[in-house]
Amino acid sequence: MQKSQSRLNGYEPGHFRKKFNVLLILIFVALTVIVMRMWYLQVFMGDELLQRSENNSVRLRKIKAMRGLILDTRRQVLVANQPSFDLVYIPNRTRDMTRTIERIKTLFEPRSLTLPSLGALTGRVKPLVPVVLERNISMEKVAVVETHALELPGVVVEVTPVRQYLYGETAAQVIGFTGEVSREELDQDLEERLTPGDAIGKFGIEKFLDSHLRGNNGAEQIEVNAAGKAVRSLGKIPSVTGGNVVLTIDAALQEVAWKALDNRPGALVAMDPRNGAVLALVSSPSFNPNLFNSGISHGDWERLANDRRHPMENRSISGQYPPASTYKPVVAAAALEEGLISPETSFYCNGAFQMGDRAFRCWQEKGHGHVNLHRAIVESCDVYFYQVGKMLGVDKIGAYARAFGLGSPLGIDLTREKSGLVPTKQWKLSRLKAPWHVGETISLSIGQGYNLITPLQLANLYATLANGGTLYRPRLAKQLESMDGLVVKVFESEKLGTLPVSPRNIRIINQALWGVVNDKGGTGYVLKRKEADVAGKTGTAQVIGMPQDEKARRTRRVSADFRDHALFACFAPHSHPEIAVAVILEHAGHGGAAAAPVARKFIDAYFGRVKTPQPLPQENEKTTRENATP
Amino acid sequence: MIKPDRRLIINFDWTLLVLVLLISGIGLLNIYSAGYSMTDFQRVPPYIRQMQWILIGVAGMTAAFFIDYRFLLRHAYLFYAISVILLVVVFAAGYATRGSQRWIAIGGFTFQPSELVKLTLIMALARYFDRHQLGADHRLRNLPVPLIIVMIPFLFILKQPDLGTGLILLILFISLVLFVGLDWRSLLIAVLGSLIMSPIFWYLLKPYQKERVLTFFNPERDPLGSGYHIIQSMIAVGSGGIFGKGFLTGSQTQLKFLPEQQTDFVFSVFAEEWGFLGGVILMGMFLWLILWGLRITLQAKDYLGALVAFGITILVFWELFINVGMVLGILPVVGIPMPFLSYGGSSMVVLMTAVGLLMNISVRRFILQS
Repeated sequence: MQKSQSRLNGYEPGHFRKKFNVLLILIFVALTVIVMRMWYLQVFMGDELLQRSENNSVRLRKIKAMRGLILDTRRQVLVANQPSFDLVYIPNRTRDMTRTIERIKTLFEPRSLTLPSLGALTGRVKPLVPVVLERNISMEKVAVVETHALELPGVVVEVTPVRQYLYGETAAQVIGFTGEVSREELDQDLEERLTPGDAIGKFGIEKFLDSHLRGNNGAEQIEVNAAGKAVRSLGKIPSVTGGNVVLTIDAALQEVAWKALDNRPGALVAMDPRNGAVLALVSSPSFNPNLFNSGISHGDWERLANDRRHPMENRSISGQYPPASTYKPVVAAAALEEGLISPETSFYCNGAFQMGDRAFRCWQEKGHGHVNLHRAIVESCDVYFYQVGKMLGVDKIGAYARAFGLGSPLGIDLTREKSGLVPTKQWKLSRLKAPWHVGETISLSIGQGYNLITPLQLANLYATLANGGTLYRPRLAKQLESMDGLVVKVFESEKLGTLPVSPRNIRIINQALWGVVNDKGGTGYVLKRKEADVAGKTGTAQVIGMPQDEKARRTRRVSADFRDHALFACFAPHSHPEIAVAVILEHAGHGGAAAAPVARKFIDAYFGRVKTPQPLPQENEKTTRENATP
Repeated sequence: MIKPDRRLIINFDWTLLVLVLLISGIGLLNIYSAGYSMTDFQRVPPYIRQMQWILIGVAGMTAAFFIDYRFLLRHAYLFYAISVILLVVVFAAGYATRGSQRWIAIGGFTFQPSELVKLTLIMALARYFDRHQLGADHRLRNLPVPLIIVMIPFLFILKQPDLGTGLILLILFISLVLFVGLDWRSLLIAVLGSLIMSPIFWYLLKPYQKERVLTFFNPERDPLGSGYHIIQSMIAVGSGGIFGKGFLTGSQTQLKFLPEQQTDFVFSVFAEEWGFLGGVILMGMFLWLILWGLRITLQAKDYLGALVAFGITILVFWELFINVGMVLGILPVVGIPMPFLSYGGSSMVVLMTAVGLLMNISVRRFILQS
């Protein structure tokens, strides 16, 4: 070691020596205090604190918060809460769990009650961490457990709130369900309001508005006796119930729509064209959300997940279908606005349209003869639109389709909304690595080909025509309220855009849509009401290409999976529209024959309901808005 | 100055390295135990994470060791500025846990700039006092610049809010000022001044911070919140007795009575499982570490080195004292990590780097010549 007394910048090592006395005293005193405190706690108080930790009789119990209610637009309760009585076991070092469970079984058996097999549980039991033996047990079981409490140390019945979906399958897709929070959801919860075991919205509105519905858990410190039963409360933070959500959905109409679809695969969307409020959003087939209430059983889950009819899929927003003839107003609007046709322009339909060596057929094999725009829409002449589409070209049609809200999600208050598809030359080049063919434009102009649309987009398209050209965001949430009903937030209508189509041209198209339902020979004539107030359009979407030769077409009694989708979209009343409806039925055949009657039932119910003395949705909205402003 | 020097190896401070690695190793075992029975949802077990932090810390230590500290300290203000900018980033874009915005995410890791500030503040203050030596005790009118240096990060950290770290910055500042020397009249004025200012400070505290201070004086006030922590922590420590319950067998720990047992309350896990004896041995190791740091301070070849060495040593001392005092129920719960034992990357990496700087100063007393 170098013993140098060299100075650096005039600094002498040891300069601070005189401060060290104070410093060392400080450090020794501090550490002595710590060691003395440790002595006090661990040696002097050690035995007592050891006892307290051994039978640490103080437990922190979570008080689960109740979720808020979900109400429909007329304040009908859609989702409420109900108590679930859960059979819970609190393990302890000195207790034998298997013996206790055997004891429960012997108590249950003579009353022909059963306890689910618990083989898997015993392995991962940790002292004082409650184990749920069975959720939502019957009142009979509660009675048995409570009367034999002394023979069942560590067994308690815990009451937790679970969801009660009053409209079951009818609105399962919209409302969704809750489930136990997952690891990923816990990781993403930066506010740390969630703890393992909490219920969280997994699907539908329950998921989309979860943070408003959820509420905050409380906690209670309780002293328990040797059997694990609570003796007294030492302190309590009450839970805070979540806020309520009022939807734009009308439960009665939702039910009508669900019944009209009659469990056939399909969807119905109804909305108010004046503001984008969704009145009914039904997807069929459906599932019973109450199955998820106390944790869905493995068997039930397997059955749902593997059902070939996909009951868990919300077809109204994630089903994508060729729009078929319901797309024709879009093409007509584009052509009128671009000045390529006038209402009087007519084309000759002889049943087919020749393009090179290929013949594009009209659904009417005999042909329509000379047709102008009005008749082309009313009788759904394909050849007319082949001509118009060819004049427009794919990209022009695409631009107008996008202006109508197609090709991208509309932003409804739900997750998993699909965008549909508006094909363009660029799209085909980048996705399919192939140039566009004119023939594809021909199919496109009658809504076939690559075109895809969701039922929600279809309803919104007709709502936009109905209101004269304003594109609204479809909304499900009407307002948020606190748990005691005070209005927290009112959702106003949101404009997404305006159609680049003149009011005159929209009127021309709407007049033709009225003709579809009310003119003799219109494809939607079945829907004609005595008020003659509905305007709409049928559509029949080919699932496979129409066979070219005559014979094959006539013998086409194809299996159900290849039958056409039936579509119908409409709005009413024609003069001052207040409802727009879209119906899609998968593989149901012709739109006018299969889908239109469903829409008819719905429209009839809607106007029947408006006449009833209950407040109109419109008035209802007005009053609540007044209440909202303090 | 960057080329490795043989003398760096010959005169290497093995005592310091072994002590720090030993203490961190104990900390790692302890975190393994604390997380042992967690039915947890974290994908990476905490002890694996902590091991990663220690390794990153050793890398930081190595870097801080090889580069001459005088060269590093020449850029002290730059380091300080970077850490303050990071604080501003947290302020603007960081994310919050438990109602406090302290973190920024880099890659898959989260980082707490307020931990880094502890070291850069020491460096910046040491640099300032080195450049402004008076040859006599400082007086208050000499101190506006150091005061500004500490107040900028202090206010940002208080805003997060993170009372504990803010407090540590103030304590570091006071310790360094007293160490370089403060005129007794100035000291008197400062003490009186802060006594008068304390009601204002109280007013600035967040409700939860007030609650914690009040709860410290009366744990029964809030049996579910921090009072619950204190009670359960004291039960855990006390139940360890003289010899402890043994590794992985602390019932308080394994039953998760303490929600923060891996971070701020980690010492309760240790004390429960290793008892009074283990606690005394651990405190003895820390005492050795602190005295060793003071020895380096005393033997440093220049004023700058002495100040930095002192600052780092006193940081370890205060964090240790405040944290353990809190766990034992003799100080309020303020959220300061236990050095080298608490789970958490930022604190570990910064402390390891600081120890590298300490080694740097220790070894260069044999190298530096006038």
